[in-house]
Amino acid sequence: MSFIILIAAGLIVPIFYRSNIFIAKMIALIAFILAAYFIYQGNSLNSVFPYFVLDKATQLMEFALLATLAAVSLALTGFERPLIAQMLFVAGVSLGLLETNNFFLYVVLFEVVAIISYILVANIRNFFNAEGAIKAFIAGAVASGIILLGFALFSFTTDSFNYAQMNVSGKFTLIAVAIMLAGIFYKLTIVPMHGWAADAYSQVNHAAAAILSGVIKSVVLVATFKAFYKFMVAYPVATVLIFSFFAILTMTLANFMALFQKRVSKILAYSSIAHSGYALIPFAAAASVYSYAGVLYYAIAYIFMQTSVFLILNDLRREAGVKYLHDLKGMGKRAPLHSLFFTIQIFSLAGIPLLAGFLAKAVAFYAGVDAGLWTVVLVAALNSALAVAYYAWIIKHLYFDEAKFNSVVKMSAGSLIGQLILLAGTIYFGIVAADVINSTVSF
Amino acid sequence: MVAVDIIFAPIFLSALVYFLTRGAQHLTKYIALGWFVVLFFISLNWLNQIMHPENYAFAPEVFEYIKATGFLPLGEFLSVPAFGFSLTLQIDALSVAMLLLTAALLILVVFTSWEEKNQAAYFSLLILFSGPIFGVFMTTNVLWFFMFWELTLVPMLFLVGYWGAEGVEVKKVFNIEIKLPSRVYAAIKFFLYTHVFAMFMFVGFFLLFKQTGYWDFTLIKEAALATPALIWWLMFLGFAAKLPVFPFHTWLPDAHVQAPSSISVLLAGVLLKMGAYGLIRFTVELMPATTSKFAMWMVILGLATTFFAGFLAIYERHIKKMVAYSSISHMGLVVVAIATMTYDGLSAALYEMIGHALVISPLFLIAGWLHHKTHTWYMDEMGGIMKYAPYASAVFIIAGMAALGLPGTMGFIGELTIIISAVKAFGWWIAVIALAGMVSAGYIIWSIRRALHAEPSEIVKKADFHMSFPEKFALAIFTFLIVYFGVNPQPIFDIANKAFSFFGGM
Repeated sequence: MSFIILIAAGLIVPIFYRSNIFIAKMIALIAFILAAYFIYQGNSLNSVFPYFVLDKATQLMEFALLATLAAVSLALTGFERPLIAQMLFVAGVSLGLLETNNFFLYVVLFEVVAIISYILVANIRNFFNAEGAIKAFIAGAVASGIILLGFALFSFTTDSFNYAQMNVSGKFTLIAVAIMLAGIFYKLTIVPMHGWAADAYSQVNHAAAAILSGVIKSVVLVATFKAFYKFMVAYPVATVLIFSFFAILTMTLANFMALFQKRVSKILAYSSIAHSGYALIPFAAAASVYSYAGVLYYAIAYIFMQTSVFLILNDLRREAGVKYLHDLKGMGKRAPLHSLFFTIQIFSLAGIPLLAGFLAKAVAFYAGVDAGLWTVVLVAALNSALAVAYYAWIIKHLYFDEAKFNSVVKMSAGSLIGQLILLAGTIYFGIVAADVINSTVSF
Repeated sequence: MVAVDIIFAPIFLSALVYFLTRGAQHLTKYIALGWFVVLFFISLNWLNQIMHPENYAFAPEVFEYIKATGFLPLGEFLSVPAFGFSLTLQIDALSVAMLLLTAALLILVVFTSWEEKNQAAYFSLLILFSGPIFGVFMTTNVLWFFMFWELTLVPMLFLVGYWGAEGVEVKKVFNIEIKLPSRVYAAIKFFLYTHVFAMFMFVGFFLLFKQTGYWDFTLIKEAALATPALIWWLMFLGFAAKLPVFPFHTWLPDAHVQAPSSISVLLAGVLLKMGAYGLIRFTVELMPATTSKFAMWMVILGLATTFFAGFLAIYERHIKKMVAYSSISHMGLVVVAIATMTYDGLSAALYEMIGHALVISPLFLIAGWLHHKTHTWYMDEMGGIMKYAPYASAVFIIAGMAALGLPGTMGFIGELTIIISAVKAFGWWIAVIALAGMVSAGYIIWSIRRALHAEPSEIVKKADFHMSFPEKFALAIFTFLIVYFGVNPQPIFDIANKAFSFFGGM
C-alpha cells in the first residue's frame, strides 16, 4: 500500500508544483504520513508482492527515511520544485530496496535508485551543476556495469536468489561478491571509488545533494548489509580484511582531504565520504551480533544529520550566498536559527554525545570491538576525533569571527519545521538507544 | 526522578533560557545562580543521606545496599536490555564530594563573571555545562560516563572561544600559514586534544564491556578481564590527558590562559578533577591488581609532572601561565597520592583535589583581573600593585601561600598528607616531593615580589583597579574556605573516610 501511495503521489504532484507549490508539498506530506501509517500497520510492499519482508528493523529505517524526506520536501522552494516528485519516487523505491529479501530484486531496485538519483542531479542551472551531474552519472553507469558483471557471475553459482537460500559456497562466489562490492562501493563512496562524490555532492544543487548523500546512501547501506550478510558470514577472513582495509583507507583519506577544503559543501562532501568509512566497520564485524544494529543505527543517524546539514547549507546559499568558509563568518549573529541547527547537526556528525551521531558510532564501533577488531576501531575512533578539527573550524567561522555584513538571514517556516523534524530525530536517537537495538535482536 | 532531571533539564532548557532572556540580559545570571544554588542543596542533601543513611527512611533493601556498597541508588533510566545498557545513577561519598565542589564553584563563578559581556549566552552555556558535569559524577555506567565526559567539552569550546582573551596566533600547518585569534586557537586545541585522548578511553571501555558483559563499573570484576594491562593503559591515557600528566599537558597552558578567568576556574577546579576522579574510579577502584603493577609508572609520571611544571612556572613571566603551570604541578601530586592505592593516599588525594580547586581559583581570578585592568600579561611590566589594589593583592598572597603549603591553609594539609602517605607506601626516597613545595615557594614568592611589591610601573599607575562587589565577595569566600578547611580539615576527611572505607578506613 505505502509503495502505491508514494508512487501515485509522485505522479500527481507534477500537476501542481508549477502553479501552487503549497498544494504539492501538502500532497507529498500526506503521502509520506499515509505511507508511514501503512508501514506501521505492517501493510507495505509485503502485502502486495512476494519477495518482500517487513520486519521491525526495516520499519524503523523506513520511518526515518520518510520523516527525512518529509522534512526535505517542506524546505524546498523555487527551482527545486521538481525534487518533490522525485523524492516521492525515491521513497517508494527505497521501501522496496529495504524490504526485499531477494538478491535479484536488490540489484534491480539498486539500479532504479541509481537512475532516480541521476534525475535528481539533472536539475542543472550552471556549469558547476553540470560537472557534478555528469560525474555522478558516469560513475554511476560504471558502477552499474560492474555490479551487473558480478551479479552475472554469481547467478551461475546459485539456484535461488532468496537471501536465506542463496548458495554462497560456489566456485566463483567470492570473486563475484568482490566484483559486486567494487560496484556498490561507488555508490557508498568508498576510497578509491570516491572521486565522483567529492565533486557531485558539492556541486549539484545542495537539496539534491542532501538526498543523494544523506538519504540514498543510508538506504543503500542498510540494504547492502542485508543482501551481503550471508556472504560475509560465509567468508569471515575476506570480510574482515576487505572491509577493515577500505574502512581505514576511506576515513583517513577523506578526513585528511576535508582539512584542506575551502568550500563548505566540499568539506561536507568529504565528511560524508569519511562517514562511509566508519559505517564499513560493522560490515567488517559481521561476526558480531551487534553488526546489524551498528549498520542500522549508523544509517538512521546519518540520514538525519547529513540531510540536515546540506539543507541548511542550501538555505544559506540561497539567502546569503554562502559558498566558501569565509562566507560563514559571523553567521551565528546574522542567522541564529540556521547556525544553531547547523552546529548541533555538525556536532552530531563529529560524534558528540547525546546526539545520534555518537550513539551510532558507539554501537557500530562496539560491534567492531565485539568481533575482536579493537585496533581497527581505535584507528576509526582517532580518525573521528581528528575530524573534529574541520568541524570545529566551521563552528569557528560561525560563532567566533566577525560578520562581514549585517543583514539578517530569516528562516522560512517550512525550513524551520523541516529542521525541527530532523533535529528531533538526531536528539531522539542520540538518547534512546533501545529502539534500534531491540529491533535488530531477531536478525 | 530528581536525579535524572538535574542532568537533562539544563542540557535541553539552556537554549530556552537563552532565547527567553535574550531581551533582558541581566536576568540570565539570576536564573543561573538560582539553579546552581538548587544543585548545591540537592548535593548537600545527598551527602547527608550517604553519610548518615540511618537518619532517612529508606526501604530495607536500599538501606542494605547503601551499607554494603556505599552507593546511594538514584534510579535506572533508558534501559536497553539487549545491550546490557542503561543510564544507572548512583552516587557514593566520592561522587558527592565532587558534586558539592562543582556546585560551589559554579555558584562562585556566577559572582566572578557578574559583568561578563553577552550575558544571556554566557550564563546559558554555564547552565548547559552543569548538566553533563553532574552526569559525569553521578552515573556508574561507563558509556554514559564517557558521553557526559565528552559533552562537557561543548560549552567549554564556546566559553573559551568566544569570551576568551584578545591576541593573535600565527600557526603553520603544512606550510599554510593560519592566522587566528589565540582564544580560538586555544579553544580548538583544548577540544581536539582532550577529544582525541578520550578516544583511547572509549576503546578501553568497549573492551571492558566485551570482556565482562557489564557497562556498570560497580558490577565489573577485575578477575574477569582477559587483557587488563591493555585496558588499563587505554583508560589511563584518557585520564592522563585530562589531568594533565606530564607529556600530555600542552593543551592546558593555552586553554587556561586564553579562557576568561571564571572559566579557568571551572577548567582547573572541575574539569581537571574529572581526570583525577576517573583515575580513582577506573584504575584504583576498578582494577587494583593491574594498577599496583603500573603504580610506579604513575608515580614517575606524577613526579615528572610536578617538577617539570614547577620549573616552567619559575621560568614564566606571564602571570596566568605561571598559575596554570602551578595548577599542573599540584595535579602531579594528586597522581602520586592516587598511585599509593592506600586509604591514606586516596584521602590525601581527595583533600588535595578540593584544596587545589579552592586555592588555584582565586589565583586565576586575580591573574585574569590584573590583565583586564593593566592590559599586560607580564609580571615584570606590573609591580607595585599592592599599593593600588590591596584587597586583590591580599587574596593573591593568601592563596599563593596556600599553594606553596603554608601551615594553616589547605595547601599545607594536602601536601603533608600526600608526603606521609607516599613515604608509607613507597619508602623514603619519595620524600623528594617535599622539594615540590620548595619549587612552588620559588615561583609564588618571586611572582609576589615582581607583580605585587616592586616599584609601580607606568602601566600600573595609569590603571583603574576597580573591583565589583560580587567579585570581591567570591574572593572572600574562597579565602575563607582555604583557611577554614586548612584549620579544620576534618569534614573533608570524614567524606574521604566514607569514600575509601573499602581500603581500610578508620
